[in-house]
Amino acid sequence: MAETKQQEPATEEGKKNPALENIQQLGQTSTPPTGESNIFCLTIIGQVEGHIVLPPQNKTTKYEHIIPQLVAAEQNPKIEGVMIILNTVGGDVEAGLAIAEMISTLSKPTVTLVLGGGHSIGVPIAVSANYSIIAETATMTIHPIRLNGLVIGVPQTFEYLDKMQERVTRFVTKHSHVSEEKFKELMFKTGELTRDIGTTVIGADAVKYGLIDQVGGIGEAIMELNQRIDEKRKAAMTAANGVLV
Amino acid sequence: MIHYSIVPLDDIYQGMDSFSPNYMEITVQGVTMQVEPVGGFQARIVRLHSCNPQDYLNTRYAPGTMITYSPDLSAT
Repeated sequence: MAETKQQEPATEEGKKNPALENIQQLGQTSTPPTGESNIFCLTIIGQVEGHIVLPPQNKTTKYEHIIPQLVAAEQNPKIEGVMIILNTVGGDVEAGLAIAEMISTLSKPTVTLVLGGGHSIGVPIAVSANYSIIAETATMTIHPIRLNGLVIGVPQTFEYLDKMQERVTRFVTKHSHVSEEKFKELMFKTGELTRDIGTTVIGADAVKYGLIDQVGGIGEAIMELNQRIDEKRKAAMTAANGVLV
Repeated sequence: MIHYSIVPLDDIYQGMDSFSPNYMEITVQGVTMQVEPVGGFQARIVRLHSCNPQDYLNTRYAPGTMITYSPDLSAT
């Protein structure tokens, strides 16, 4: 049902003996592990599944799995940077914003890469990282939130919907260079989508509007993340030296 | 709950009324998880209930992974 792929930072099995060997041979307990990545890669694909378990025809990313993964990534000293790869059609507002908030508050360097699509609730997730990259062919659909289920035709319904929309708008404008006016203009544009109001923003356009930082692919994303990891290491080193002196 | 997606809601919720999964909770090597049995002693992981965040980084316990389990009769 849910497909999340990630590198496994460490398994507990077989760790004791190498540690003992390290003490005997090198006089230290841990050595830089070989073949083990210092980057944690999180993929958000299909629907972002929230409080309702969706029927099996949906390919989903479960937020209750993503959130502890981000906690683990923040806590695990072996992970130095987080790479988020997006190809999502949207999903639950609460779940999507929860993931976006988690990513934006990580202390480790984060880079998002939008491949294929980062639509609807994928937009706040895409802008949540320190740096965002979009593939040239990738698209992001920005459209208004719709209410489903029982809708009562009173002004309060509209106000509620407007508040929910405001959460998304505020997050996106806070975490990217797009202005609120521009984002709302894209959201309520007519004549762009066949059956809906809104805009489909493709690759370079997302950068032009200030939503995403750069057009690129995996090479640029890894380079950017490594650069940020290095900067953080250097900052930590100078801070440590400063204390010693 | 509000769904914010480009996929039409009809497509998302199609088959929702007949969707009644049979989940059960098991513990595999100390990790409590919700699984969907698929026959024999095989099950598909639905979600983890573990409180250890590192368990969620273990690819063997990612949702959708098939696991083989056997009933532990010693506890009863």
